[in-house]
Amino acid sequence: MPFNQKPQKFNAKINTVKIGTGDKAIEIGGESSFPFYSFDAPVPVTQKVGIEITDGGLEAMPECIRAYYDGASSMGDIARKAASFEGVDFLALLLDGGDPNGANKSTEELIAIVKEVAEAVDLPLVVEGCKNVEKDAELLPKVAEALQGRNVLVMSEKEENYKAIGAAAGLAYDQIVGAESAVDINLAKQLNVITTQLGVNGAKVVMNVGTAAVGYGYEYVVSTMDRIKGAALGQNDNMLQMPIITPVASETWGVKEASASEADMPEWGPVEERGIDMEVSTAAADLAAGSDAVILRHPKSVETISRLIQALA
Amino acid sequence: MYKITFSFEDGSVVIHDANVGDNLLEIAREANVAIDAPCSGNASCGKCRVKLIEGELDSKRTLHITDEEYEQGWRLACVSKVTGDVKILVPDIASAYKSRMKMADLSSPEEVAIFSNAMKDVEMTGISLHNSLDVIEVEMEAPTLDDTMPDNERLMRALKKYFNTNTVRIPYHVLRKLPDVLRKHDFKVKCVVRTAPSNMFVYDVFGSEEEVLIVGLAVDIGTTTVSAVLLNMENGEILAKASAGNGQIRFGADVINRIIEQTRPGGKKKLQDAVIKETLNPMIANMCQSAGVKANQIYRMSVGANTTMNHLFAGINADPVRTEPYIPAFFKTNSLFAGELGIAINPDAHIIIAPNIGSYVGGDITAGTLVSMIWNRPEFSLFVDLGTNGELVFGNSDFMMSCACSAGPAFEGGDISCGMRATDGAIEACTIDKETMEPSYTIIGDPGTKPVGLCGSGIIDIICELFITGIINPKGKFVREGRRVRHDEYGMGSYVIAFEEEAASVKDIEITEVDIDNFIRAKGAIFSAIRTMLNSLDFDINMIDEVYVAGGIGSGINMQNAVYIGMFPDIPLEKFHYIGNSSLTGTYLMLLSTEAEKKTYELASNMTYMELSAVPTYMDEFVGACFLPHTDTSLFPSVMEKMSAIGD
Repeated sequence: MPFNQKPQKFNAKINTVKIGTGDKAIEIGGESSFPFYSFDAPVPVTQKVGIEITDGGLEAMPECIRAYYDGASSMGDIARKAASFEGVDFLALLLDGGDPNGANKSTEELIAIVKEVAEAVDLPLVVEGCKNVEKDAELLPKVAEALQGRNVLVMSEKEENYKAIGAAAGLAYDQIVGAESAVDINLAKQLNVITTQLGVNGAKVVMNVGTAAVGYGYEYVVSTMDRIKGAALGQNDNMLQMPIITPVASETWGVKEASASEADMPEWGPVEERGIDMEVSTAAADLAAGSDAVILRHPKSVETISRLIQALA
Repeated sequence: MYKITFSFEDGSVVIHDANVGDNLLEIAREANVAIDAPCSGNASCGKCRVKLIEGELDSKRTLHITDEEYEQGWRLACVSKVTGDVKILVPDIASAYKSRMKMADLSSPEEVAIFSNAMKDVEMTGISLHNSLDVIEVEMEAPTLDDTMPDNERLMRALKKYFNTNTVRIPYHVLRKLPDVLRKHDFKVKCVVRTAPSNMFVYDVFGSEEEVLIVGLAVDIGTTTVSAVLLNMENGEILAKASAGNGQIRFGADVINRIIEQTRPGGKKKLQDAVIKETLNPMIANMCQSAGVKANQIYRMSVGANTTMNHLFAGINADPVRTEPYIPAFFKTNSLFAGELGIAINPDAHIIIAPNIGSYVGGDITAGTLVSMIWNRPEFSLFVDLGTNGELVFGNSDFMMSCACSAGPAFEGGDISCGMRATDGAIEACTIDKETMEPSYTIIGDPGTKPVGLCGSGIIDIICELFITGIINPKGKFVREGRRVRHDEYGMGSYVIAFEEEAASVKDIEITEVDIDNFIRAKGAIFSAIRTMLNSLDFDINMIDEVYVAGGIGSGINMQNAVYIGMFPDIPLEKFHYIGNSSLTGTYLMLLSTEAEKKTYELASNMTYMELSAVPTYMDEFVGACFLPHTDTSLFPSVMEKMSAIGD
C-alpha cells in the first residue's frame, strides 16, 4: 500500500515580527505548522540564532569563549567580533551588571554601553535587562529611548513591571516588547492580554516563556512551548500567536555540567566541550518544542544550531 | 513585670502583665483580647495592626505599615515586643472578626422559611420528621410501708409497664432530683425519654402538670463562623438562632494553621476551649435567654463541620488529617456527649456528628447535600459551599461526586484587609460609576449604619465593578488613576470605598491589590475545581441544570457579578440558587428526623470523593482561572458581551 501523507493543516499562524532595520533586519515567526514540519505547510521564515554578549565584556566570559574575542578591547570591538561569527542572525546584549544584588551598575553607565554596542553593529539588536523587576522598570525604558528607530527587541517585561516597560518599549518608542513568563501557558497568555490591553500592538510582542537547561526540569519547558503552539495554531488563540524567543545561554552556562572544571571532574571531559554540548542540546530542544529564536553565547554553538536549522528547513 | 493596657474604641480597657521581650500578640491572646491574625503571627497578613498610645514597643518595620502610619503609632502586634509599660488602642477592625455575636431576628419570615422549606422538601421524599425523643406521662403508686420499692426502681417499673422495654437507664442528675420531683407531684410525672426498641434513657423528669419542651441544638462550626439554632424537637419550630466568629481564629485563619497550633503542648485543650467555652457556650446562653428555655432542656445536639473542626471540637488530635495518608480519627461517631465535652446543655445530651467523607470533605458538606436535594432529582445539579474550604458536590439521584479546594477565608472576609463577616456594618453590595469612579453601596444593618468593612458579597461586587469599569486589569492590578485610587510607597494600588470620615472605623475602607489577588485566588480555586470535576466526568459546563450555592458569603451575593468575575460558570442566571447556610439547615434536619440522619449517612457513603491535588491538570486549571474572568475568555461569552457593551 502506498504511503498517503495527510498534512496537518492549521487555519492560524504565528505572527511575523520584524526585528532591526535595513538589509540586516530579520523576521521571526510566521509559521502555520509545528516546528520543522515543513512537510505540513511551507515555513516562510526559518528560526533565528542570536549571539549574546554582556555588559561585563571579556572579563565576564568563560575562558573558552573569551579566546574567540582575542584582540577586542572595547564593548564596540566585542560587538563587532560577535557579529562576525558564522550563523549569527542578531546580537543580544545582556545587561546583567545592572542587578542591584550584583555589580549594580547605574542606568547611565549601562545606557552608554548600549549606545556603544548599537553604534558598532548594524545587526538587529536584542537588549536584555538584569532581571531585577524594579531595576528593569527603570533601565529598559531608557534602553527603548536610547535605541529609538533601531526597532530593537527589549527583553523583558514581566507581570510585575509590564506597565513601565510595555508602555515605553511598545508605545512611546515603538520597539518590540519581550514578554517574559515562568514556564506556564496561562501566565504567558495573561501577560499578553494585559500588555495588549495597555495599548501595545500584539504584532510587536515576542514571548519569552521561560526555559531551563536540559536535565533541569526541562520537561515543563517542552510541554509549555508545545501547548502554546498547539493553542495558537489549533484554537487560533491570538493571545498566544506571538513568536517565542528563548535566551538559552543564561540558563546553560551556569549549570555544573558547563562550569565544573576538568580538574574537578576529569571523567566529564573538557569543560569547553561540555559547555557547548549543554547549549546546543538545550537550544535544539527549544527549537523543536516551538522556539522561533534562540540566544547563545559560544560561537561554536551558534554555528552548530544555525546549520541544524538550515539542514532541517 | 510591666503593664500592658489594651483599650478599645468603645472605651473599655483590658490590663495584662508582661515581661520584657514578650510578643504583643501572644499577650493579647493570653489576655483574651481579640486581635485578628489570620496568618497566625507571621507578619504576612497585616491585620493585627494596633496603635501605640503611650510608651514604646520594639516593633519590626514591615510592608504593612507605611512610614506615615508608623509615625502615627501604628504597629503590627505580631512583630512587637514589650519593652516597658505600654498603652495600646485595639481598633474595631482588628477585633471585627470576633464580631459581636449576632442573634437572628426570627420575626423576619426569610430566617424561618429556610428551615420550614427544608422540612417540607425532605418530607416530600417520604422521610418522616420524627426523632426518638419523647415526653411520656407516668403515674405510679406512692410508696407505703408495704410497698418499699425505691424511687428509681419504681420509675423503671412504671416505664416498663407502660412501654414495652427491657432496660431503662436513669442517669445521675435525674436520680438526684427524682425523690423531690416524685413527692412534690404525687408520683405523677412526665419524663423526657429516648425510646429505642429495647431500651429507654430518661433525660429528665417533671411534674405532670408542667409544660415540657424538648429542645434541640443544631450547630454549624465553620472555620471562620459558628452558627446555631435552638429548635423544638417535636415540631421543628425554630426557637432562636445565633452566629458568632469562631474563637479559634486567633490561632490561624485556616485549618492547617489550627492543626499546627493544636499539636503544641496544651493545644488540643486550647482550641477546644476556644470553640466550646468561648464561642458556643455564650451563644447557647444567649439563645436560651431569648427563647425562654433552660439550657438543661437541650437534650440533643447535632454538629455540621469540616473534618478538622469536628476533631478540634471533640478535642481529638487532628494532625493525621493534614499528613499523608490523611486518615482522620473518625468519619462518624456516636460516642460524643455534651457533659464530657463541656458544652453547657444537658450533660447527657448525645451529639450527632454529620458524617465526614474525607479529610477535606466534612460533615458540613454531607449535611448540605441533604438540604440541596440533589440526591433526589434526575437533573444534574452542582452544590457549592463557599467556605474557607470550598467544597463541591455534583450529581443527581444516580451518582454524586465531591471534591474540596482550598479557597481561604476570603469569602467570609478573611485575608482581606477590610474584610469582615456578613454582619452589621458590612458593605454587602456596591456599584461603581464608570466615569467618576465613585462608588455607591448598601450596608447590612439599620438605616444609617456606617460602613465598617467588606463582606464576601460586597467584595465580589467591588472587584466586578472595578474590573468592568476598567479600573483594574484582569490580573487585578490598578490601571486607572483617580481620587479613590491610591498607591503606597511600594507601588501597591488600592481603591477607597469609604474615606475615614464616611466610615465607622479608624481608617479608610479600601480594597488593595493584595486583597484582590487573594480573592482572585479564592474564586480561581472554586472555578477550577468545578471545571476539573466536570472534566473528569466528561461533562460540559452547559450540562449543569441547577447550581445551589451555600455558605456565609452573605445572602446579598450577586450571582451575575460572581459569573462576571469568573467564579461560577457562565450559564443562565436562573439556574443559580442561594440556599444560605446549608450545613446548619442540614444538621437541623438530622437532629429533627432520625430518618434524615440515616439518609445523611447513606449519602455520605454513596458519594465518590475526588482528590483534586491528585489530578495533574488541576494546577493548570487553577492558574488559568486566576484571571478576570478567565485566561480562556471563550468560557465566559456573556462577560465579553458585557465588557464590549460597557466599552461603548
